[in-house]
Amino acid sequence: MAEEAVLPPGGRPPGDPPKQTLLTVRELRVNFGPVRAVDGVSLTVSDGPFGIGLVGESGSGKTTIGRAILRLVPAAGGEILFDGQDVPGLRGRRLREYRRAVQIVFQDADNSLDPRMRIGAAIGEVLTTHGLARGAVSDRVAALLAEVGLDAAFAARHPHQLSGGQRQRVAIARALAVSPRLLVLDEPTSALDVTAQARVLAIVRRLRAERKLSYLLITHNLAIVAELCEQTAVLYLGRVAETGPTASLLTAPAHPYTLALRSAVPEIDPARRRSRIILPGGAPNAAAHPPGCAFHPRCPLAVGACRVLVPELRAVAPGRLAACHRAEEVLAGLRPSAAPAQLSGEPGL
Amino acid sequence: MKLQIRDLQVRFGEQLAASATALDVDAGEIVGLAGESGSGKSMTIQAVLGLAGTAGATVTGSIKLDGVELTGMSAAELRAIRGRRIAAIFQSPGLAFNPVFRVGAIVTRALRQHGLSAAEARDRAAAAMRSVLLPPELLHRYPAQLSGGQLQRVAIALALALRADVLLADEPTSALDVTVQAEVLEVLRELRDSRGMAILFVSHDLAVIAELCDRVAVMRAGEVVEQGVTREVIAAPRHEYTRELLAAVPKLDG
Repeated sequence: MAEEAVLPPGGRPPGDPPKQTLLTVRELRVNFGPVRAVDGVSLTVSDGPFGIGLVGESGSGKTTIGRAILRLVPAAGGEILFDGQDVPGLRGRRLREYRRAVQIVFQDADNSLDPRMRIGAAIGEVLTTHGLARGAVSDRVAALLAEVGLDAAFAARHPHQLSGGQRQRVAIARALAVSPRLLVLDEPTSALDVTAQARVLAIVRRLRAERKLSYLLITHNLAIVAELCEQTAVLYLGRVAETGPTASLLTAPAHPYTLALRSAVPEIDPARRRSRIILPGGAPNAAAHPPGCAFHPRCPLAVGACRVLVPELRAVAPGRLAACHRAEEVLAGLRPSAAPAQLSGEPGL
Repeated sequence: MKLQIRDLQVRFGEQLAASATALDVDAGEIVGLAGESGSGKSMTIQAVLGLAGTAGATVTGSIKLDGVELTGMSAAELRAIRGRRIAAIFQSPGLAFNPVFRVGAIVTRALRQHGLSAAEARDRAAAAMRSVLLPPELLHRYPAQLSGGQLQRVAIALALALRADVLLADEPTSALDVTVQAEVLEVLRELRDSRGMAILFVSHDLAVIAELCDRVAVMRAGEVVEQGVTREVIAAPRHEYTRELLAAVPKLDG
């Protein structure tokens, strides 16, 4: 990255006052019929600028958590507090205020933009709906487009005349139109080229400073949270496997699943390539939770206890929580041996 | 040389969609084709498959498989080569499988079209599934009952069962989770090393190419701008565009 890293190594510069909490999620549960998609997840989001990454494979529940915060799916249990207010209980004016304060950007901008509506109208619609721009809509639209690095001329175009990365930037501009305090970014770059991805991530990096934004960044790629999030929560089958400051979690994972996710990130530099941990058995199925630790059938470090005892999420180091019976050993450097589950990361050049 | 491309040009009217002066893929080698959307990577693949013409493009130049010229072949001649000698996998494995048939039926049908008996087709399909580290029982499932990574591996298994010696892979892992991507890359390495397959691997992600490919060609706006041994291109990129692609890759250490 050409840009400087926005985060100091410790996450927060010493001397800064501790941040206020913006959003608290406590023991959140979301069910789809018998499927426990989110099974007791707790998170804290500070006032901006602040980023928290939700990382996991398909089926880990990360998208459902984002949707539950937006009230797009109902919570079956637990609490969601925004500025101390109970989110599921919001009604009327307070609910409308909440809908302005919290915005979402989806993975697929193609499906969130009306193909027949010009870009300017799509953004202007948000402003007029929320009564935010009487008369001066086109000026506000131009300012919002400029914020995401697009020329005002884009307002006259239709979505199909834009590239995927440009459409995603329009989706961000729409979300920004109501001056939200919290953004849920749900795999905002997964459908994009790495070059378009880099541009979108650079915009998020700039906006977090300029607008003092807080955001939840949902992704399956640990390298993306490394650049943009102070905190990271790794999710597996609807539960938090591990959480903590991003830098320390990436340097020294406490959960074998985090080790596997880290090893799956492709590395350009052969010297930094880690031996790859291939997880057997494919992505987890939320309709069939195994007994004991949900990760044990794929875990290269599983022992007897893992098959019967569900590990509690517990403090394993300052600021670090992990749900693994062997977290201390993993923190101390325990790694899978060259078992059948592990294959060499050496490309054989 | 297994696959040899010379002076290839794919045009839509006056518009150049892809061109390559010289691009070779040898047996037991994976060659990466890197670039952004619209750079011409996929059109190159379509041209090799003989499908660019049906999309309305004009293809000139030479594409040889084991020294035999493919351009100018009749549709029937090409059909015998496509699948049988040159297999292809694409970004969305979900679109490659008809949802109303079991995947086993789709695989065996393709094998029978290339002349195998029903029993041979079943045996080969099962063996190929094991080669891509999948249980053959998955052949009894419908596409919707398999994950994206599993479907992509079934698509690779089909190429194996046909004994194809060239595999064209067009962004085969871009729609997959990083963990599943890692599995598919491992399978491709295995095909190169143990079966000597020649693989042309298209991706926008130079990190994936760095991990997988022996050589790389970087494409921009329809043209190859840099080509060489992957390790050397990554260590000392000569073209500004290659440097841009390298800088765009997100890194774990932020």
